[in-house]
Amino acid sequence: MTSDTNNKPMANPLIVLREEFDDWAILFDPDTGDASAINPVSVFIYKHLDGKHTVPDIVAKLRKECEDVPENAEAEVQEFIQQLLDKGYAGYEKQF
Amino acid sequence: MPNVIKSPRSLDIDITSRCNLRCKYCYHFSGPGDVDTDLPKEEWLRFFVECGHYGIMGLSLAGGEPFFRKDLPELLEGIIANRMRFSLLSNGTLIDDAWAKYIKETRRCNYIQVSLDGSRAEVHDQLRGKGQFDKAVAGLQHLQRHGVPVTVRVTLNKLNYHDLENIARFLLEELGLPAFSTNAASYMGLCKLNDQEIGLDVAERSALMAVFADLVKRYPGRFSANAGPQADLRMWSEMERARLGGLAPAHPTGALTACGCVFDRMAVRADGIMTPCTMLSHMEMGRINHDDLREVWQNHPLMQSMRARNEISLKLFDFCSSCNYINYCTGNCPGVAYELTGEVDHPSPDACFKRFLGAGGVLPEIN
Repeated sequence: MTSDTNNKPMANPLIVLREEFDDWAILFDPDTGDASAINPVSVFIYKHLDGKHTVPDIVAKLRKECEDVPENAEAEVQEFIQQLLDKGYAGYEKQF
Repeated sequence: MPNVIKSPRSLDIDITSRCNLRCKYCYHFSGPGDVDTDLPKEEWLRFFVECGHYGIMGLSLAGGEPFFRKDLPELLEGIIANRMRFSLLSNGTLIDDAWAKYIKETRRCNYIQVSLDGSRAEVHDQLRGKGQFDKAVAGLQHLQRHGVPVTVRVTLNKLNYHDLENIARFLLEELGLPAFSTNAASYMGLCKLNDQEIGLDVAERSALMAVFADLVKRYPGRFSANAGPQADLRMWSEMERARLGGLAPAHPTGALTACGCVFDRMAVRADGIMTPCTMLSHMEMGRINHDDLREVWQNHPLMQSMRARNEISLKLFDFCSSCNYINYCTGNCPGVAYELTGEVDHPSPDACFKRFLGAGGVLPEIN
């Protein structure tokens, strides 16, 4: 599955976002036991994977909430979401 | 003090206080955590919802014997439904083919730890009861056949220490386990009552260390231990190497820096009382479904005092005065320290290298 700027990705509800400290978190897949640490910006993005926000929407929110967001933020967010899609940690709602 | 995570990553839960065996060194059956009745399934299921809500990743179910609970499948389903994994600590004797198949199909089992204390029935059964060796091995083989991750814990004591080499050969070669772990009968629970019969003396601990020093060469990477002679050998060798070489200690030392579990996990007794650790079952911090798990984890004074132990210098203890190893020592397990001295904030006499050497103990030659 590939991401698209017009799509609205959703976090996989079976994946646990476990907040730890200093706004860092762990994404935990209980079926495999895999756990990956993610930084505060990634946590912010992950929390907006609710099927209501496109990547540009998320980047706009990120620019509003955070200072010094780099020019290429959209590409980086897209890349992060693509990694989540590849692992099955996120997806898109199917329309039938 | 290090950062404290918002909620524990895992919990050690005594899911029942009942057991089909009465092993001579069990750390239960003579302490405050031993209650007559188990919490009903509904209480645990309600608690698992809270655990899932706080992002706890794994629950380790022990007891008592977890497989003694008839409603264990429903409890495991509650864990699974709340996006967690589980492990089970068992004597293995109640695990049949159907259990092993079921556990495998859950896809959420980190491992099942089976206790095995001898390479043959004569050794194992004198600690656990007639016929238990065959049942435990059968349980273990059911798990292996179904591909359930299985590990074995060997509790070393006066009645089985001579069998360690045979145990290693049996587990690693005959049963084909990738590895196994060891500890030693600790002065708690039933072991207190049977200490004369099963507690290891200094000569036996020295002998075991010598065997371990040989076994780790023969079976590299296939042993682990957090307590007992194997752990003592590793820790004391590190201390001696650092002292002789004038090296910096590998871990935070010189204070009560052990153990670090309270930064990662906590425990729940069979009656639902939350405690910092299963080894500290007298330290009551509230009850599940009555007190908020995250609040207890973050702010309970006993949890905070356990975390602050690592600021208590060993220099404050007469016990540690004039010790050459003071700058390399962690004070070791607070649970054992409490059982032996009546104080949690005290170094454990059982793990004291100076005392061990003073009593004639011998550390195998180190590189």
